Amino acid sequence: MPMPLLSDAFHPRFAQWLLRRGALLAFAAILLAFALSAPNFLTPSNLVNVLAQSAILGSLAFGLTTVIIGGGSNVVSGGLDLSLAANLGLSAAVYASLNNAGFGDVVSIAATLGTGLAIGTLNALVVVGFRLPPLLATLATMNLVAGLELVLTENTVLPSTSPLLEGLAFGSWLGVPALAWVLLAVGGVLIVLMQYTPFGLRLYAIGEYPEAANAAGLSVRGYVFASYLISGLCGSLAAFCSAAWFSGSTTGSGEMLLSVVAIAFLGVIFSQRLQPSIGGTLLATMLVGVLINGFQLLNISSFWVDGVQGVLILLVVALSGLRNKEA
Amino acid sequence: MSDSLSAPQPAGLTGLSGRALLRLVMPTLFAAVLLFFALKAPGFLTVGNLSSLLLNNFVLLAIVAIGMTYAIAAGGIDLSVGTALDFSALTFVLLLNAGFGLYVAIPGGLLAGSLAGLFNAGLIAGLRISPFLATLGTLFIGSNVQKLLSDGGQPIYLEAQVRSGLASERLLGVPLPLLLVALLALVYGVVLARGRLGREIIVLGSQPLVARYSGLAQRRIAALVFIASAFASALAGILLPATVNAYAPMSGNAFLMNAIGAVFIGATLSLHNRVNVPGTLLGVLFLNVTANGLLLIGWNFFWQQVATGVLILSVLLFSFASRRLGAG
Amino acid sequence: MSTPVLELRGIVKTFGATRALDGASLRVAAGSVHGLVGENGAGKSTLIKVLAGIHRPDAGSLLLDGQPHGHFSPRQVERLGIGFIHQERLLPARFTVGEALFFGHERRFGPLLDRRSQQREAARLLDDYFGLRLPANALIGELSSAEQQMVQIVRALLIKPRVLVFDEPSVALVQREVERLLRIVQRLRDDGLAIVYISHYLQEIEALCDRVTVLRNGRDVAEVSPRNTSLEQITRLMVNREVGELYPKVAVPAGALLLDVRGLGRARAYQGIDLQVRRGEIVGLTGLVGSGAKELLRSLFGLAPPDSGEVRLDGQPLSLRSPREAVAQGVALMPEERRRQGVALDLSVQENTTLAALSRFVRLGLLSPARERHTTLELIERLRIKAPGAHAKVRQLSGGNQQKVALAKWFARCSSLYLLDEPSVGIDVGAKVEIYRLIGELVKEGAGVLILSSDLPELIGLCDRIHVMHRGAIAARFAAGEANSDRLLAVATGAQRAQNEERPFYAYAIAI
Repeated sequence: MPMPLLSDAFHPRFAQWLLRRGALLAFAAILLAFALSAPNFLTPSNLVNVLAQSAILGSLAFGLTTVIIGGGSNVVSGGLDLSLAANLGLSAAVYASLNNAGFGDVVSIAATLGTGLAIGTLNALVVVGFRLPPLLATLATMNLVAGLELVLTENTVLPSTSPLLEGLAFGSWLGVPALAWVLLAVGGVLIVLMQYTPFGLRLYAIGEYPEAANAAGLSVRGYVFASYLISGLCGSLAAFCSAAWFSGSTTGSGEMLLSVVAIAFLGVIFSQRLQPSIGGTLLATMLVGVLINGFQLLNISSFWVDGVQGVLILLVVALSGLRNKEA
Repeated sequence: MSDSLSAPQPAGLTGLSGRALLRLVMPTLFAAVLLFFALKAPGFLTVGNLSSLLLNNFVLLAIVAIGMTYAIAAGGIDLSVGTALDFSALTFVLLLNAGFGLYVAIPGGLLAGSLAGLFNAGLIAGLRISPFLATLGTLFIGSNVQKLLSDGGQPIYLEAQVRSGLASERLLGVPLPLLLVALLALVYGVVLARGRLGREIIVLGSQPLVARYSGLAQRRIAALVFIASAFASALAGILLPATVNAYAPMSGNAFLMNAIGAVFIGATLSLHNRVNVPGTLLGVLFLNVTANGLLLIGWNFFWQQVATGVLILSVLLFSFASRRLGAG
Repeated sequence: MSTPVLELRGIVKTFGATRALDGASLRVAAGSVHGLVGENGAGKSTLIKVLAGIHRPDAGSLLLDGQPHGHFSPRQVERLGIGFIHQERLLPARFTVGEALFFGHERRFGPLLDRRSQQREAARLLDDYFGLRLPANALIGELSSAEQQMVQIVRALLIKPRVLVFDEPSVALVQREVERLLRIVQRLRDDGLAIVYISHYLQEIEALCDRVTVLRNGRDVAEVSPRNTSLEQITRLMVNREVGELYPKVAVPAGALLLDVRGLGRARAYQGIDLQVRRGEIVGLTGLVGSGAKELLRSLFGLAPPDSGEVRLDGQPLSLRSPREAVAQGVALMPEERRRQGVALDLSVQENTTLAALSRFVRLGLLSPARERHTTLELIERLRIKAPGAHAKVRQLSGGNQQKVALAKWFARCSSLYLLDEPSVGIDVGAKVEIYRLIGELVKEGAGVLILSSDLPELIGLCDRIHVMHRGAIAARFAAGEANSDRLLAVATGAQRAQNEERPFYAYAIAI
């Protein structure tokens, strides 16, 4: 009964092209619709604002995409990291707590990054070491990390400010907000890593055809381990963005999980070859960002955005009903 | 490699005695924990504490976990149990407040909750979408619908005149909720262990291809499984507002992880690491006891959650590691 | 032979209850093509996997230029200069040709991937070696199987190997591509490589190989030169038994018409199929990969519904939209991949044998353990299944016994039509005889059997009639006694039909 998320079968080039063009067309149509109906939508300042708003979700989605690349897009046994949202929550809480306790930038930043990495390591150990299916593994670690976050925050908001946070929240360079730069920077680095380094190529090989990677002498486990570490790091990077945006740590970061999953899988459709990719995820992030922004400008309740995301996720999923006709 | 979450433990070089030994780990741990709290936690072994444990904590989680057992036994997972529970609760409260009485409100709630299961069934059996994604989507949509309907998360209270005291009813001296758990466990448990559907579910979860090649009606089984899971959650969705006299949006999601954990604890208790209903109940008890005991020792609520989180993770690690050992 | 480049000595490998290799040895000289032949289950595949570092041998040694080497991983094997062209292409479908060639040993520009140089070099290599010109961004999934194989070969050559192992390389290729492949192998030999060539197409072996090692039952029984050993002699070395004692044939009078197929067709698979099976008959079906035989069998079980034509079972129209429907109407399938599709390994013997007939065991709404146990024990005895008990996990049983369990499931149901897909693949000779005996019992009791097999002697020994498919149609029908392996294969490869076509290169096949 468990079926691959996206057909591991190979789609003819034309179908790919059609799907990708269709997705881009839809994106363009949405942009057009908002441009016509929402005031100030198409202004440069608004558009870079969209990027800034998307920094949090985007960074998380990049982490998830990395894991999916390395694990293959089979949803049960393939790569998945459901602990990302909780990772963000805990890392932000760690930063806020240390910052408020007067520990200064170096310690706070290091600890935050360390938290993300630690969570990534835990995931990696559980998935690679104990061979738990990633779905269950990261569900369980998510639970644990969320619990730790509650301990630290006692389910309240921890307001916090620091030069770093202020710089991220209000700073800009060349007229583009700092958070937008963060999104582009993280995305850029990961695109280079995935598309232009041997590591990335090998990670793709491992995700798509582990037997081939094995026969080629690649250590499947090592690369999968690394993918979870990267994901964990992305979680803590997103935490900085979140802490800047909300001036501290907030509750309810777990609700972001569903959006992150939707974006990561939607990104497959935007990619060159209908495979998980950072570039595709970036486009998907911007799509969701545009939706949120457009709805805001039109004063539509944000719940509808979530609803649209829900429909998007089902759309992706239904399209994955290019299903694998198993033997 | 099996794609299924519930693939039972392969028999291995450790042989019967090895497996029996592994099977004893969880019960021993449980006994140790019980003993520890009995000795160290003030008020743990009192009737008041234990009955409160059973009625307030055990009942709802047990019902949800029984439903989850079916989803995992079939090789999938149901992330939307909270949605079924919440829709059922919402419908129940709304119907009662509108004056319709229990005879309408209860079936109404059960139906509403089961609709979530029907939706899942349609996605999974109809559109062949993986259970993870399908139930994730249902969870997503369900959460947002609730947010919309409840104006951002405001609870809806049962008006005073319609409060039924349902939850404190007793039949033959046994509280009604416990009877419901027993009844549900009996029906679901017997079907899973000895029924034809249960056997089909187990094969589907173990090796879906074999199920197909043996002529089993895979899609019908999958549909039934997810409707059954939602129905159980819907039942919990009646009991919850009956107890707390309100519908609180998205409160069902809190049961998800514990339900999954309980099912896997239950699996480790069986000889062949097979998911089963009685084991699930024990798993729920294990989790409840741990949380309760820690509370009585003085751990705050949040640390309890961490403790149960660690426990669930450990159970999963143990469960999968012992499969590795078993396979040599 | 002077010191061979590669030598495997006395390799032993056991999987659970099955002894796949029982002291197998192989010696390959540089600048030669060394064939490796053997029938189903003889151990060829396992031996190669041991060489490739995928399986660890229980005993035995590997020597390179006379020097022994210890156990190794695939990376180490690569470093030793041994390359493999596996039966599976092992190239990710969504990679470009350049990426597929170089992943694992990428061309770099500093720390970065030098994509352009990879792409260029890939194009150059393919052109140099094979005269193959592909569009720049071609993805592996878009290439034909033969083109993918060429990429696979070039990839293997990148490590500058001294030994190259070809594992059943011609299986998915058409004749023209096979000829090209053989020329490539010859060229590589002339370049000084030591080549191990595994194939069940014996005439390929005859045309190509300087020496041939014959494997039987996990051991090398002979090493001969095809120049002074005929194909018949080689075959006898592979098989080594009287046909009669292997196939316990019992004469059963043919009964009523059971399966009646008329004009059956499915797009891109087969067309115009007319086929009958009577009760009490064993009908054989065979054909090369792509002939439509496999697809036809799958259609008859509801796995791939036909587009046109009619099927009747016992005179009633047979609905084939799903396996569930087929089973309900009395069709049984013993699938080719026993461990994935035939038996549930982690369930008990009892749970497996009752699986297709669960409704028979329901009493008062629940499954009756007593009835299940009774039936299971009956079947264990009748089929002579060697198992520790009804509750033993099927995983513990040997391959042959697992196959019996896969069959027992249908005995419990008393199906009418049995479809058997390569029933004796991967099980030892003793178990094969048992399976044949059981097939005989099935037809004695009035069932009809349709066997799809690439083991031609098996079909000749068992069947009352044999249909040979070629390019989607039934090319010939043989009655028992009319058929021999040569004629069967001639039809399967199209030689019989060919008038102005070139004679095919290979004309003798023993199933792998």
